[in-house]
Amino acid sequence: MTRDVHDEARELIVLGESLSDARRAWLRAHLDECEACLHYAEAVNGAVRTLRSLPFAADSRLVRATQMRVRFHASRLRETRERLWLVGLACLAVGLSATLTVPLLWRLFAWMGESAGVSSWVWQAGFAFFWIVPALLVSAVLLARGSHLTGNGEKQWR
Amino acid sequence: MNAIAYCFVKAMESEPRAIARGLRRRDPDLLDRLIEQYQHRLLRYLVYLAGNRELAEDLFQETWIRVLERGHQYDGKHEFSTWLYAVARNLTIDYLRKKSPLSLDGLMEDEEHAPLEPADTRPMAWEVVQQHEQAERISAALVSIPAEYRETVVLRFQEGLALEEIATVTGAKLGTVKSRLYRGLNMLMPRLKGAQA
Repeated sequence: MTRDVHDEARELIVLGESLSDARRAWLRAHLDECEACLHYAEAVNGAVRTLRSLPFAADSRLVRATQMRVRFHASRLRETRERLWLVGLACLAVGLSATLTVPLLWRLFAWMGESAGVSSWVWQAGFAFFWIVPALLVSAVLLARGSHLTGNGEKQWR
Repeated sequence: MNAIAYCFVKAMESEPRAIARGLRRRDPDLLDRLIEQYQHRLLRYLVYLAGNRELAEDLFQETWIRVLERGHQYDGKHEFSTWLYAVARNLTIDYLRKKSPLSLDGLMEDEEHAPLEPADTRPMAWEVVQQHEQAERISAALVSIPAEYRETVVLRFQEGLALEEIATVTGAKLGTVKSRLYRGLNMLMPRLKGAQA
């Protein structure tokens, strides 16, 4: 027998349970006639038994601390999600009210422009300014704060 | 009788799916139960992966935070433990890479290898000493082999994962897993001789 046959047999011994019937029969036949591989198989069984005998336990305090931390983090994530939902709802409300009020405001600015006797581009620029500036200001404030969506508690765990 | 068996089989089949549904909802009771259920197995895996109990305990907590955050990514088609080990493994590698750009194995060699604590089963004093010595010897043998071999051996023989599951957890090819298992066990056997009862 060549060395390759022994190597193959030893690989099959280590890989264990996932052998086909034919491979298992071949291995059994090989072990019947090869003492070295039989010793190897016994050594593998011994090593695996030893590994499985290793007692190991997690500390109950670690488990409790982890559970508490996970619950706390879950509540933070839930708060963030609720906040995002509120922001989404606010956006929807703003969009709807804008759709309703823009034509009225446009007419109001046109009437004021005509009453004041200014050219149309002046009252139109005034309307655009009135319309865009508040949103820009709010965006700038939120960006400057930076933490409007993440919440402050997240940082405690990092 | 057949109906009971059928219900039992269905219940067993739907367990990963029930976990997947609970994780999508971020159900805290489910997470509590999973933490309890996988506490020993996950911590043991992390201790051998990180080579250090203190670090493993930090990573244990971080793993469950990540499970909470990314639970929606678990599809319920595979065993939950396979996905959990993969999460823990990625987190450990990320941590060790951040700590130093050297190889995972090199970093693990630098760690202090704290001996593993035996389970508190309240045996006699001499049994405690014996158990502790045995655990130390096995632990020392395990941490003396390279990390990728150690990980494969631990997943196969301590956690009882199938070869395909180990390939999923480690992201390695099945052939690589087989080769690591064979070489790892061959490296380990002479070192374990002193620890065998």
